[in-house]
Amino acid sequence: MIDMAALASAVHLLASSWQPWMVVIPGILIGLLVHSVPGLTTSMALAICLPLIPYMDFLQALIFMTAMYAGALFGVAIPAILLNVPGSASAVGTTFDGFPMAQQGKHNEALGLALAASCIGQAIAYLLLLCMAGPIAAFAIKLGPPEMLMVSLWGITLIARMRGRHFARGLMAGAFGLLLGTVGLSARGAPRGTFDIDLLLDGIPVVPAIVGLFAAAELFNLVGRDYIVDDLTRRRVDASRILAGMRDALRHPGVLLRGAILGSGIGILPGGHAIANLLSYSEARRAARDPEKFGTGDPRGIIAAESANASSEGGSMATLLALGIPTGGATAVMLVAFSMHNITGGPAFMRDHADIVYAVILSSLAQVFILGLVGFAFIFVAGFVVKVRLRMLVPMVLAMAVIGSFALAQNLAGPITLAVFAVIGWLMQRFDYPVAATVIGLLLGRLTEGALLRTYQMSGGEIGFLLTRPIALTILFLLIVSIMLPYLRSAYAHVAGNPPGKDISK
Amino acid sequence: MAATQPIFEFSGRRIAIDLPHLAFATTIAGWCAWFLRDAWLSASDVENLILIAPAAIAAIILYGFVAAGCFHRVTGDAKPAPLRAPLTAGIAIKIAGAMGLLAGFVVAGPLIGFDIASFVYLFAMMFFLGERRILVLLLVPLIFCIAAIYCFNAILSTPLPLFFFSGDAS
Repeated sequence: MIDMAALASAVHLLASSWQPWMVVIPGILIGLLVHSVPGLTTSMALAICLPLIPYMDFLQALIFMTAMYAGALFGVAIPAILLNVPGSASAVGTTFDGFPMAQQGKHNEALGLALAASCIGQAIAYLLLLCMAGPIAAFAIKLGPPEMLMVSLWGITLIARMRGRHFARGLMAGAFGLLLGTVGLSARGAPRGTFDIDLLLDGIPVVPAIVGLFAAAELFNLVGRDYIVDDLTRRRVDASRILAGMRDALRHPGVLLRGAILGSGIGILPGGHAIANLLSYSEARRAARDPEKFGTGDPRGIIAAESANASSEGGSMATLLALGIPTGGATAVMLVAFSMHNITGGPAFMRDHADIVYAVILSSLAQVFILGLVGFAFIFVAGFVVKVRLRMLVPMVLAMAVIGSFALAQNLAGPITLAVFAVIGWLMQRFDYPVAATVIGLLLGRLTEGALLRTYQMSGGEIGFLLTRPIALTILFLLIVSIMLPYLRSAYAHVAGNPPGKDISK
Repeated sequence: MAATQPIFEFSGRRIAIDLPHLAFATTIAGWCAWFLRDAWLSASDVENLILIAPAAIAAIILYGFVAAGCFHRVTGDAKPAPLRAPLTAGIAIKIAGAMGLLAGFVVAGPLIGFDIASFVYLFAMMFFLGERRILVLLLVPLIFCIAAIYCFNAILSTPLPLFFFSGDAS
């Protein structure tokens, strides 16, 4: 499956010049730094760096962008763990166990876990891509609107079931999120839920809404405390404990591997990177013998979310390189970089420039090690956040988030969205609704609506159409199983006279 | 501020109602219903309502279950058990104050410029949360403003409305 001649040519390309490697560390650092500011996104950072692209040769430009992407995919985990602030949807799953670990004074270990899981996840994804670029592309081309629709519904249902004790509240939060995601102009130009405000015609700004729902809401809960970690002796930033966290990730190879494979698979889909971490978290929790530990600071939660998040990059790159289709904002900007060099992604690119494709994959594998080193140094510095008094930290993070959301939206819609959703998020937390379900609904609202509409048009309204889509049927089956399994387990245990342990999903 | 659960008597049964949660769920369901109506009035074709109608109807049905869960039967003279951690008056005031200051900053930032608004917001928020050292109250906002403005305007080339420096809010 590997084109050995192209692979040899790729090795020659990378080994014959130091220039492609010059951009790796700056790229990773930009990715890490951007995501330390709530409200800034990978696609924004990539877009800002676009003017540099014409000055680089094509391979160097691709390596620069993948390095930024790799740095950003891990970077989102840092505020997610230390502040419960997921810089983007791809780090939502990391907050579930990351922040509880930080509050217990295990921030060093949590950051180490996230770094190791991120590096290993990326490595597995790129190894998969190296060995199976062709089959992955062939698989990706079979995925259409019905499959996307099923994945969206699966994601929302899982998260609704997973995080809250009340399934109805979870589903209601998911439906609420889906509706929020469709605010704005419809495909035919009909305004919906805009209150006649022009700024809302493009919809609710997603990143400020996420930052508001998660970050600001959580920060409000911290205002009465002195530090994130109450115990003075646990506030140390300790390299040996970061390393211990990294080693701990290796003690859960099954969780790592499952997360990486799931992330690579889901990453192929448009918007897949946003839900890969949540699906992986949910799967890890479902498969665990002690699921009640998840959400309380369980290392497996971080590993599952981070490995899937990092590996989704491999899936996204497969779709971009093999089909020329971006699966998200970051890969869309990369596609612009392609056009700056008069290159179009897709099957012809894979055929005619196989050496460049392999060179990008090989350099990304090498980036994993560089990310390990640069990321370690970065989190050593970032870990000092726990030593800052919350009465300084909370205002600074909130101010940064507001300015970031203005910079992103370039108008008042960003900051106002953040403030409104901060209050909604705090109330949702207070009344035990899973905020993540609303976030996922908000993210996938447009995508789900488009997928549902195209599925309806393809099927002509015939439900039997789904029978011709085995992948969609499989995902539907998994969706039903994931909803029913806890009930079936409980019923089985009841029949067997062995009452199940406490399950927070009920 | 403990979780409010007034008790009502219906045909001899004592029922505690989780009013704050009921109000929140009703607001969410009300918005969903309003959104469905707004979308329907905007365009009542399949393309417009294919997701909105089922999602809104699902949300309203689910609200029925959630609302039902807000009513708890209380036996005897026992007080209903608290449903969530109570908020002390001090914490409730701090949270409400933090929300109010954030709202003020959001409105003031684009109007008077993020440089001066950030400084005032950080100063006010730190003071409100208990910081009393005047040097810290002045230096932290100042350093933050310089760093944030440099980061956004110089490195990211993102035009921010500013009061003192070059910008579009003068």
